[in-house]
Amino acid sequence: MTDSLLSVRDLSVTFRLPEGEVTAVDRLGFDVAPGEVLGIVGESGSGKSQILFSLMGLLAPNGRASGQALFAGQDLLAMTDTELDRVRGVSMAMIFQDPMTSLNPYKRVGDQLAEGLVVHKGLSWRAARAEAVRMLDRVRIPDAASRARRYPHEFSGGMRQRVMIAMALLVNPRLLLADEPTTALDVTIQSQIIDILAELARDMGTSIVFVTHDLGVVARLCDRVIVLYGGRIMEEAPADILFNAPRHPYAKGLLDTTPRIAAPLTRRLDIIPGTPRSGGAMLPGCPFAPRCASRIAACEAVQPPLIGIGPAHRTACHLIGEAP
Amino acid sequence: MLLFLIRRLADGLLTMAALLTLTFFVMRLAPGGPFSSNRKISPTIRANVEAAYNLDQPLVAQYLRYVRGVLQFDFGPSFRYRDYTVADILLNGLPFSLTIGLWAALVATVTGVTLGILGALKRNSLLDYSTGTIAVIGIAIPIFVLAPLMQVYFAVMLRWFPVGGWNDGWRSLVLPVVALALPNIAYISRLTRNSMIETMRENYVRTARAKGIGRGRVIRDHALTGAILPVVAYLGPATAAIITGSIVIETIFALPGIGRHFVDAALNRDYPLVMGITILYGFVLITFNIGADILRGWLDPRVRHD
Repeated sequence: MTDSLLSVRDLSVTFRLPEGEVTAVDRLGFDVAPGEVLGIVGESGSGKSQILFSLMGLLAPNGRASGQALFAGQDLLAMTDTELDRVRGVSMAMIFQDPMTSLNPYKRVGDQLAEGLVVHKGLSWRAARAEAVRMLDRVRIPDAASRARRYPHEFSGGMRQRVMIAMALLVNPRLLLADEPTTALDVTIQSQIIDILAELARDMGTSIVFVTHDLGVVARLCDRVIVLYGGRIMEEAPADILFNAPRHPYAKGLLDTTPRIAAPLTRRLDIIPGTPRSGGAMLPGCPFAPRCASRIAACEAVQPPLIGIGPAHRTACHLIGEAP
Repeated sequence: MLLFLIRRLADGLLTMAALLTLTFFVMRLAPGGPFSSNRKISPTIRANVEAAYNLDQPLVAQYLRYVRGVLQFDFGPSFRYRDYTVADILLNGLPFSLTIGLWAALVATVTGVTLGILGALKRNSLLDYSTGTIAVIGIAIPIFVLAPLMQVYFAVMLRWFPVGGWNDGWRSLVLPVVALALPNIAYISRLTRNSMIETMRENYVRTARAKGIGRGRVIRDHALTGAILPVVAYLGPATAAIITGSIVIETIFALPGIGRHFVDAALNRDYPLVMGITILYGFVLITFNIGADILRGWLDPRVRHD
């Protein structure tokens, strides 16, 4: 795909630990088109957040990313920190999982927002602060002008996440990386945050990579979904196809574990037996094989390739053949 | 911020009052007195002497008289040094202790914080390891070992600085200041390093890095405040202790500061001098703690909004 905004190929993320090298993300490839919202779904420890950190150059000091991530034609993974600083906070921004700790407690909220504009766009502090207030207003912070002079501890969790969104979008980035931005918030606030994010991204034409374990959020927001397990893509499909006709056993299992309003109250929630794999050496076969109910002998021996089974629909399972 | 300031000052005054009262009564409760030493004195002379120092009055009256004096910087006459008042003794020694102490505090803070931050940013580098080693040595080797060694090397062998005394301008200052600063450099650099490393792992520092504002700004504008706060909290009491003089340093370098009175006065049961020293130390300690609190409040909005 040549019209991709972001094109990731063979992305691996490994961590050096005292017990040896652990692979969190294993030779992953995906694309994000301009204006598209891509959801990356997976359980805890599936490596989904590390994908975003590797793109932003924010991996922990013992982490290492290899492969290629072309963003607007430039390989993010080959850049030095200084080169990355011309991309992150400029054309690519990120919002984080925990809004309570992700803002600097010692600086006024407005100044934290304005900082990016001063550094990257050469605005004066006065002009940048005015821009910041306008953006805070857009994420529906009431009384934005006086709120901008306050400190993060004077904001609620939901407000802080709106501040984070304002801070990320203030520089008008082409790509927004969102790392479980609603996980730490309660459900009604989650819904507001998603609305604001969706609305702004649409208005500003920003692409989003949205990492979450919440399928409800994905259904509301995303155009396309990647289901991740053990650092590998299990299935990739347009959102409506994935929700209506998932093919991979893990994707099916994941959807079955989601409670549905329409289901009878007596129906017990399905679970996927076993526990998510955590680190350790990569298995030779499919990472989901040990927990998969329909596994065959080949599953534990050979890694199934990611194959196309329909338009924009790919999956990695031995049981599913190539599209005719 | 104003409310925070007023509250801290009021706290300080209360603490001062409590310190003054407690010290006064505890001193009087302790058995023995300045004139109950080896020699037997006739009851008449004893009564006269006690009357001269107002020791024959009721305790509460003595206390009120004392408090009135302290408010006018009058701590009464010394029992031991008959020709001097306590205020004289303190004012004579204080300039020496203050000069050495303030320089030592400044040197310790600047050097300690700088080494700590460099060590944290270049973790596991040669610089980090060498400051780490020096810090451990600085904390582990007592000053009464280090100071004479410095005298032997820099004063006797190299003849750069005088061995002691106060007659050689700034040269007289160097060795005692360095000796007094050294353990604090060691401690402050460790404290700063660990605090900086911890702060660099904070989520908000990651947010700052994600903004692409450059490593320099991330450190200066975001990480530094958080890293420096524990150091500021430590500096309050530490500076108070440093500037009120060290008996070890003042003895080794033959300096006429007030440090030695801390011990002498108690041994001599020189009530007014003990009281004077205690109140002076308490005052300095409380002042610097309030100073540190104000600094923390200025740096951290959560402290001043509390």
